Amino acid sequence: MSRRVGIVGAAVTPFKATWREKTYYELAQMATREAVQDALISIRDVDAAFYGIYNDIFERAAIPEHAIHGLCGMQNKFGTRISTGGATGAYTMSAAHAYLAAGRFKTALVLGVEKATDCFDFSSMSATPEVIKSIGWSGDSFFEQSIGWSASDSYAEVVLAYMDEHPGDLKPEITAQISSILSEYAKDNPVAQRQHDQVTPEEVINSRMVVYPFRELEICVYSEGAAALILAEEETALAISRNTGKPVVWITGVGEANEHSFAGKNQKNMARIMSDFYGSRRAYEMAGITDPTKSIEVVELHDAFVHQLEISMAEFGLVPLGRADSLVEDGLMTPGGKYVVNRCGGLIYCGHAVGASNIMSAWSARNLLIERGRGAALVHGTGSTVAQYTCCIILELQ
Amino acid sequence: MNDRREKIVPSKYIPDVGAHTETIDGKPYLVANDTMYTFYRRTRGEFSAFFLALRDRKKLLGCKCSKCGLVRVPPFLTHCPDCDFAPTEQIEVEQIGIMNSTPPITYFATALFQHMAPYGRGRVIFRGADTAMSVNLYTTTGILVPGMIRKGTEVKLVFRDNRIGDVTDVFCVPTAELSQEQIGKEGLQESEINWEAPVEPQIPTASEQDEAVFRQTFDEITAIIDQMNSNDRARKDIADWKRNIQVKTRGGQFVIVIDDGNIEVEEMEPLTIDFVMVCADPRTLLDGLSYRGAITDSVISKKLWISKNAEFTTVFKLDRMARSVARARKVAE
Repeated sequence: MSRRVGIVGAAVTPFKATWREKTYYELAQMATREAVQDALISIRDVDAAFYGIYNDIFERAAIPEHAIHGLCGMQNKFGTRISTGGATGAYTMSAAHAYLAAGRFKTALVLGVEKATDCFDFSSMSATPEVIKSIGWSGDSFFEQSIGWSASDSYAEVVLAYMDEHPGDLKPEITAQISSILSEYAKDNPVAQRQHDQVTPEEVINSRMVVYPFRELEICVYSEGAAALILAEEETALAISRNTGKPVVWITGVGEANEHSFAGKNQKNMARIMSDFYGSRRAYEMAGITDPTKSIEVVELHDAFVHQLEISMAEFGLVPLGRADSLVEDGLMTPGGKYVVNRCGGLIYCGHAVGASNIMSAWSARNLLIERGRGAALVHGTGSTVAQYTCCIILELQ
Repeated sequence: MNDRREKIVPSKYIPDVGAHTETIDGKPYLVANDTMYTFYRRTRGEFSAFFLALRDRKKLLGCKCSKCGLVRVPPFLTHCPDCDFAPTEQIEVEQIGIMNSTPPITYFATALFQHMAPYGRGRVIFRGADTAMSVNLYTTTGILVPGMIRKGTEVKLVFRDNRIGDVTDVFCVPTAELSQEQIGKEGLQESEINWEAPVEPQIPTASEQDEAVFRQTFDEITAIIDQMNSNDRARKDIADWKRNIQVKTRGGQFVIVIDDGNIEVEEMEPLTIDFVMVCADPRTLLDGLSYRGAITDSVISKKLWISKNAEFTTVFKLDRMARSVARARKVAE
C-alpha cells in the first residue's frame, strides 16, 4: 500500500530574462531556503533531493546538480537529477512522489533551476538565437538537427497537423485572446518575468511571425530562475501542516507517457498529443477522477505555445478535440469561467525557466487551491520533440 | 542553394577571449565570453548504408520488417520493435512523396540556421514507405510562405550537387514546380532546377499624390525613429548592431542607419549599403515601425522586399524596437 504524499512547502525565485546578479548555484539555494522556510522546517529535516535541470548546455556543465547538492545543505543524502525536456519539472515531482509513496523517504526537496540566457550568439549579438540553438541539440542528431530542428518548429509541426484535421479550430483571434488573458493574469504574479507586460489581442496579432503559425506573443519566453517544493509522506505532512497552519495539498494522481519521436504508421500521430491524452488519463485514474470536466477546476499547464495550450486542454478531456476554441468562445477559461487556467500567467508571461517551470506551475496551483479552500488542480509538463513527453499531476485539498 | 560550411564551427560564431562588467543596483557583475566545445569523429553506424546511398548513388533507402512488412524511411532500425524485434531488410524507395502534414516555416532561426531562413522543415512519406522522413522544403519561386506546401502536397526529393553523407544532402520541392522530366528523374540535382533569382521589384513612377504620401510618411517615420532613439529598451534591441538599410518606395528613397544602439534616418546615401528594402507604399514600413503589423509579416506577404534573406535578423530587431516603443507608450498612457 503506497503512502499519501503532499506538498507542504513551496517557493519560486523571480523569473527573469537574465539574472546577472546570480549563478544557478545561488538561484537553487535561494528557492531551497525559501521553500524550507515556507514549511517551517530545517534543511536538515529533508531526506532526499530531486533536481529538475533540463539542459547541461544552459548550465555550462555536465551533471550540473553535483555542485548544488552540498550548497543546498543536502550533502551525504540521496540526490538525483531528472531531465525530460520541457516536462523536466513535472517528471521531477513524479519521481519524488514515487520514492515518498514507496516509503523510501519521509521528506523530499524538489528543486528546479535553469540559467538559460547566459547563452549568447555573437553573430547577431543577442541571446535568444543561441538559447534556441542550445535547445536545438535536443532534436534527433542523425536526421533532424542538421536541417534546422528547433523546439518551435517541432511543436509547430504538431499544431499544423492538428489544424489540418480541424481547420476551423485554433483561430488566430482566439489564440490572441488567450495570450491577452494570460498577460492580464501575470499582473498578479510577483515572480512573473512579464508581470507588467499586458497585451491586447490586437497586439498579439500584430506581433511578428517567428515560426509559422506562431507569433512572438504566442510563445513562452526563456527565463532564468528556480522553484522548489517540499514534499512529505502523510504522517510527516500532517505534522508539518499543524505547525505551519497551511493545509497539505495532496498529490492524488500522477500520470506520464512518452510518444514515439518519429511520425508515420505505428509511430507518432502528428495531429494528436497522445502523451497528454495518456498522461492525463493515468493521473485521473490514480486520483479516482471519472469525469475531469466535473472534478478539475484549476489547470496549470505547460503553455510553450498558445496553440499547444488549446490542444493540450482538449487532450486532457476538458474540451472536445476540434473545439478547443470553446475555451474562449464558451467562456470556459475566460476570467470567471469554469476553468482557472494558468493563473500565474503561464510560461508565456510568468516565464519558462525550463527545469523550474512545472514546479512553478505546481506552486501556483497550490496557492490557488489553498486560497479557494477546495478543489482539484491539474499540473502538466510537456517536452521533447513533437510534444513527445508528458507528465500530469493531480493536486487536491482534502 | 549551396551554402556548405567549410569549418565545423564557422569563425563568425567564435568570439574573442574577453569579459565586461555590468552594473546592477550599483554593484558590478563580471560577464565573461565563454564556450563549451566538443568535436567528434562520430560513426554513422547502422545508418552508414543510408547516408552512403544518398551521397554516392543518389538513392533513398528504407528498412522493411520481415514480419509485418512496415517500411520505415529513414531505416531507423535493424529489428522491428512492433514484431518482437523481427529483423528488417534494407530496400530502396521512390523519390517522390507526399507531405504527412502541413510543414512549419521558420523565420526566426537559431544561430546555426539564420543563413537558411526562412526555411520549411516537414515530414514526407515517400512512395513505398509507411513512415515519414524529416526534410527541408524549398520553393523554386523565392521565399517559402504559408500555403505553398500543405498536407498531401506532392514533393520531389532533390540532391545537392556537393554531398557529404548527411541528411542535408537532400531536400524537397513541390512537384508542381517541376517539369515532367525533372519529376521522373531519379537523383535529380539542385543544379538541374531553375531557381528564381531574387530580383529587386521595379517601382512604378511616382505621381504627385505618391510624392505627397511619401513626404508625410517620411516625416512620420522620422518621428517614430526619434522615439526609438529615446527609448532605452529599443536602443538595447540594436546594441552592438550596425546596418545601413536603403529603403526604396514609390515616392522616394532614404536610408536607415543602425549604429550600436542608435538609429537614424538619412536622406543621403552612405558609402556602403548592407541591404535594400523595397516597398511600393512607404506606409507599409511606417505601419511596421509603429507596431501596426510586423515588418516580418510584410516580407512574408510580399508587401516589402529585402535583398538578403539573412537580414531577417535586422528586420526582427526593427520589429522588436517597434514593440519596445509601443510598450513604453502604453505605460505612459
